[in-house]
Amino acid sequence: MSSYICGLDIGGTFTDCVLINEHGDLTIAKSPSTPSDFAVGVLNAIERAAVKIGLSTADLLDSINVLAHGTTVGTNTIIQRRGAKVGLITTKGHNDVIHIMRGSRGLAGQDIKLIVHIPESSKPKPLIPKRLIRGVSERVDCFGKIVVELNELEVETAIRELQDAGCEALAVCCLWSFLEPKHEQRIKAIAHEIAPEMYVTCSTDLAPKWGEYERTTAVALNAYIGPITVGYITRLDKQLKQMGYKPPLQITHCAGGTITVPKAQEAPLLTLDSGPVSGVTGSVFLGGLMGYPNVITTDLGGTSFDVGVIHNGSPVVSYKSTVNQYEYFLPKVDVQTLGTGGGSKVWIDQTTNSLRVGPNSAGADPGPVCYGKGGTTPTTTDADLVLGYLDPNNFAAGTIKLDHQAATKALQKIADELEMTLFELASGVATIAEFQMADLIRKVTVQKGLDPREFVVFAFGGAGPVHMGVAARELGVDKVIVPQGDTAAVWCAFGAASADILHVGEQAKIIASPFDLTEINKILNGLSLKGSQQLQSDGIEQAKHQFQYSLDMRHRGQINEVEVFIDSGILDEEVLGALREKFVARYEQLYGRGSAMHDARLEIVTARCRSSALSLKPKLKEFSLTLEPLSADAKTGTREIYWAEKKSVETTPIFNGYLFKPGNSAEGPCVVETETTSIVVHPRQEISMDTFRNFVINPNT
Amino acid sequence: MPRISEMTDVDFNGIENPYVPPKILKIASKLKLHQTWDKEVDPVTYEVIRHNLWQINEEHGATIQRLSGSPVAMYALDLNPSILTEDAEFVYFGPYMQYMSGVTDTQVKWTLEYRSENPGINEGDMFIANDPWVGAAHQQDVMLLCPVFWEGELFCWITNCLHQYDIGGITPGSFCPSAESVYEEGLMLPPLKIIENYEVRKDIEAVYLRSSRKPDLVALDFRAQIAGNTTARDRILELIKRYGAATLKGVMKRIIDNSEKSYLDKMSRLPDGEWSDRTYIEACRPGDRRTHRVMLGLRKEGNKLIFNNDGSAPQEGAMNATYSGWRGSVMVAVNELLCWDQYFACGGALRHIEFDPTPGTLNCADFPSSVSTAPIQAMEISLYPAYNVISKMIYPDPIMRKDIMCIGGTSQWPATLFRGIDQWGEKYGYLLIDPIGGAIGAFTMADGINTGGQARTPICQLPNVEHTEQNFPILFLYRKELSDSGGAGKYRGGLSAESCFIPHNTEFVTQDTLSSGNAIPTSPGLMGGYPSTTNAYTFVKDSNIFDCMALSQMPNDTDELLGNSVTLQLREQNFTQDPKDVYAVRWSGGGGFGDPFDRAPEDIEDDLESLAITEKSAETLYGAILGKDGHVDIERTREHRAKIRKSRVTEIKKSSRTGQLLSENSHSINIMRDDAGTYWACAKCDFELGDISENYKEHCVTENQSIAVSNPLIGDEARFIDNAVEFRQFYCCQCGCLLDNEIAIAEDPLLHDSRHQLS
Repeated sequence: MSSYICGLDIGGTFTDCVLINEHGDLTIAKSPSTPSDFAVGVLNAIERAAVKIGLSTADLLDSINVLAHGTTVGTNTIIQRRGAKVGLITTKGHNDVIHIMRGSRGLAGQDIKLIVHIPESSKPKPLIPKRLIRGVSERVDCFGKIVVELNELEVETAIRELQDAGCEALAVCCLWSFLEPKHEQRIKAIAHEIAPEMYVTCSTDLAPKWGEYERTTAVALNAYIGPITVGYITRLDKQLKQMGYKPPLQITHCAGGTITVPKAQEAPLLTLDSGPVSGVTGSVFLGGLMGYPNVITTDLGGTSFDVGVIHNGSPVVSYKSTVNQYEYFLPKVDVQTLGTGGGSKVWIDQTTNSLRVGPNSAGADPGPVCYGKGGTTPTTTDADLVLGYLDPNNFAAGTIKLDHQAATKALQKIADELEMTLFELASGVATIAEFQMADLIRKVTVQKGLDPREFVVFAFGGAGPVHMGVAARELGVDKVIVPQGDTAAVWCAFGAASADILHVGEQAKIIASPFDLTEINKILNGLSLKGSQQLQSDGIEQAKHQFQYSLDMRHRGQINEVEVFIDSGILDEEVLGALREKFVARYEQLYGRGSAMHDARLEIVTARCRSSALSLKPKLKEFSLTLEPLSADAKTGTREIYWAEKKSVETTPIFNGYLFKPGNSAEGPCVVETETTSIVVHPRQEISMDTFRNFVINPNT
Repeated sequence: MPRISEMTDVDFNGIENPYVPPKILKIASKLKLHQTWDKEVDPVTYEVIRHNLWQINEEHGATIQRLSGSPVAMYALDLNPSILTEDAEFVYFGPYMQYMSGVTDTQVKWTLEYRSENPGINEGDMFIANDPWVGAAHQQDVMLLCPVFWEGELFCWITNCLHQYDIGGITPGSFCPSAESVYEEGLMLPPLKIIENYEVRKDIEAVYLRSSRKPDLVALDFRAQIAGNTTARDRILELIKRYGAATLKGVMKRIIDNSEKSYLDKMSRLPDGEWSDRTYIEACRPGDRRTHRVMLGLRKEGNKLIFNNDGSAPQEGAMNATYSGWRGSVMVAVNELLCWDQYFACGGALRHIEFDPTPGTLNCADFPSSVSTAPIQAMEISLYPAYNVISKMIYPDPIMRKDIMCIGGTSQWPATLFRGIDQWGEKYGYLLIDPIGGAIGAFTMADGINTGGQARTPICQLPNVEHTEQNFPILFLYRKELSDSGGAGKYRGGLSAESCFIPHNTEFVTQDTLSSGNAIPTSPGLMGGYPSTTNAYTFVKDSNIFDCMALSQMPNDTDELLGNSVTLQLREQNFTQDPKDVYAVRWSGGGGFGDPFDRAPEDIEDDLESLAITEKSAETLYGAILGKDGHVDIERTREHRAKIRKSRVTEIKKSSRTGQLLSENSHSINIMRDDAGTYWACAKCDFELGDISENYKEHCVTENQSIAVSNPLIGDEARFIDNAVEFRQFYCCQCGCLLDNEIAIAEDPLLHDSRHQLS
């Protein structure tokens, strides 16, 4: 019997299951997601996969070596605001940290309109109301020295009061605790004694970083989603065990790896946004196999456009994220989102009589006009249909029949108002959307010191291959890859299956140059020891442990930090000497030549250790390239399509994507269709199939 | 004293007098301007290029932040990039520090007029400038102007402005609270060609850096400014190459035309009239106990808006701003209230706005008066009346009404200037940035935003306490939002906060104060709304804080401490804070909107639950009666409010006029008309409040109260100023409802704040 790697991903609509056997054969199964208890949908998807390969569920589970699972339970808990009632204990006098939100309106990640129009903006509903926040006497200073001992009596009173107020979870964050965690740990211990039923989480266990606002937010969010997420993971783990799955269940996290169940129970926050991150993880793996170290991953769905960047084989990460306007510390693969998707609304700015696309979206319900579900405002998808990019009878695997007439009528109205032809308007809508996408990609590359022309673009999501050819052309990218036909649709589950076990340990400690070698080594050593212990408790033998170290550094007195990688966890004088050069090189790469001050004092802010163990990797079949031309059967017919480049409607060939063989190619203009997407190939573009059966668009021949 | 428009024989050239750009610029003929453009650009190209231009300006701002990395650029966002046409009309102005919009186009225009002949404006040049009489807000705001050329013609301008740590002057940081003239302040540079033919002029850069106490940081910021301009210039040139110069310019002109259209549309929906507002600066130099009047007038004539500062006090001491600084303040309110929907593309509106202040006044100061404190004093204080007069002007339109904002927090900046030897043994000097946390004032349909930042910088962020403690030898006892700090009203102003610290790991800290708005609230509220708290310094010498620390019983507030409470004056110089001395600074909050008696009981309950107000204020300011369970007793509250309103009516009159509603002038006052003419009327009961030509306040029941009545956190004004301050309340003579409030020093007459020409 074969052995399998299994990846699972819970999406908004479907739960996806991907099985990969030792030969690299893929089996894909989908089952509707079950929000009332997501575990049901997960088990259904596994069951369907088992049926597909002719095994019983028990037999399949018995033959799975690694089961990696991405969960949206935490994300949903936040969106639906149904998290736990949380109490917060913090340093007295600093109770209002997460209310003050660093004196901003919580604008991170918000639309520009909210920035410029103050009356439309507001702070989010408080994560923890003021009455459930207790300050206790204690204080640590910037040297990590305790200057006020913890008043345990106050702690006990606070916990009892919060318990009486009905708190199910307790977050603990004290000032400077990342330098001296004693008080936080003591508060946790007291809480366990007094209120053993409470879910308790300390900032130093989760994010020992410099900056009390983002640290408190992290721990508050962790507490907020804690009870529900932990409940779900525990339940699923138990069920899988009962059904015969023996190895430890792996949970994917937002730093691009997996963790075991106990770690996920301690830090459920790590699972937030792990879905889109898995898409990037899968791309790292595929990019590696295909020989692309630099990849821009794009996922264009109905309501959003997600972009991730892989540079030199590693995903670009960020250490501060935003959820619900709150910023929090957590190492995370950076996935930027734009509210532009197939559902972006087309409208006229009445005062200036100009054409606008988005950012408001018709969402999935009512969705675009052509869905016929009551939508009246035309969207990008309606424009795609009018242009001829989409086949009304073969959209989303034929599940939705598109109403061409309704889309035309809605767009014609706008065209008339602007005195444009219908096609001019529709192609204008597509162009505006494509330029917005190109702008976001520009932002996440150029503004990080990366040149998009050195990257290939992976286009995921149903709408991605429709528009990415033009966006890529704008950026000067010379390859757009539509991965693996079918697998592209379950890419996040595939990413889960290809993820390594990974723990990112961080320790903030601000150390100014000239650096004290002993001090730095002590911190790095502490991190690697912690990582090693974690891997051991994951059941990984020591020989497989891998460690990667980095330091976040900056000019003293300045704000911008850059991550400098170091080869070993033990620094010597020589490495220390090279550290400044490495810093300057990295700084100038990110911030521009001449931006670094060569003689200025430097500071180390955070030390980091990524402890990992490579997991079993799926294998992918590679095919040889055929020399035969594309079979005549592949052309399924023609459609009238408007091409902006030619400013005219042309009878355009339509191809069945499933009849392409590796090595086959076709010239634009044409459209290649699969069950889940339409790949639009513009004039002067070319499409081919590579040895992994991926489609490759050359955006500018 | 005459206004600028009345001084026809004076050359407003930016030397002795402020630079006031003429309608037609005098530009040397050797400088060729690119002035051909496509009048018709298709909507798709327009939208694509428009979006690109916005993105270019965004990337410009981001580049400066990344390269500078200074706390000023990253937290206070005291910078702004912009794109202007060849003749210096705004295409885009960034969403950062809004003051800078008023000081950008003027500096470009001056450069066009006075630098186009000699040394000439050529491709590859950039000009550095910070002269407040030419157009800078104050000396620290250094602007770098970059002309963009295409085929030998000046196509457009890219500029940025960035506040510098220190460019000299008698006080570290270059805010000089005791200066009597610019000769004691930082370096001043009229526009100077610092980059010539793509090369930095090293000699000129050396001059620029020479006066600074922090030349390294100024040099780094200069690199950031160059990179920002270069990035934007390159991208503009890419756009020209792709779409053609005529198309790109066509889009730029249309962005301005569109913003003009939007502005004109708004003006057409509003009645003509005149609005004015009044506030005060306290203390213009150490030892000063006077108040200095700040006036703002706005007249709307059709599409035209004319701003003046008639009646403002003369320039004096170190509290002043120049013409361009004052214009910048007014522009903040214009941008945020009238141009937000055009993303601050204010070029179109500016075609119809005139600025006509009186030279020699504190907010249109003549050379060489001290102006280094302008953005936190004379400009800040001029800004908030600007919000008020525009808010009053736009109220009659039900849609624009939603854009109104009451004055927000930190309406005067209570500065904490401190210095000494830090915990690392090094010298430091700093302006505590905490008051940037501000508060947003109430809106016409919702409460303001607690600690939502200063409205004039729509994006800004406070440093964490841990950030400040790492860099300076202080230990924060608390940083907390304050109950009752927001102005009361039907919609409550946002709460402000207070920061409190002791010296830590140092022998002592040396401090200066620099503030105003500690006696007279500077966030007064609108249309019946109450003021927020004033600014406040608290200083407890020889406190028992060490005992508290040793016993692990930390205070929640300074009033829990023992020690000698010292009243710090508003321009205290060089006082010492020893380790046992506790210092706290509170900044003003957001003003309230509408009569607090109109606040819904459930909102009051929310306020109590979220600690936004105290029970006492619920009763005294909001007229709420609380039941034993702490909930608002709705029935008794209604009765209580009615009783108080009734008690205000001394003589019951019957309204003699029953006209038709003509215009909703404010939340509480309508304009009505009958056969006899047009008159003011109470919006609740229609009672007549005088003919439209009169000041309706004179027809109200007036109650003059102590200012302390208006907000429980406002103390006795006599601590800081010699004038008595009144909280004047105006009630309807028939229904007793509160119509408006006014805050004034006792000797000032009633403010006639609205005059209408309704036909």
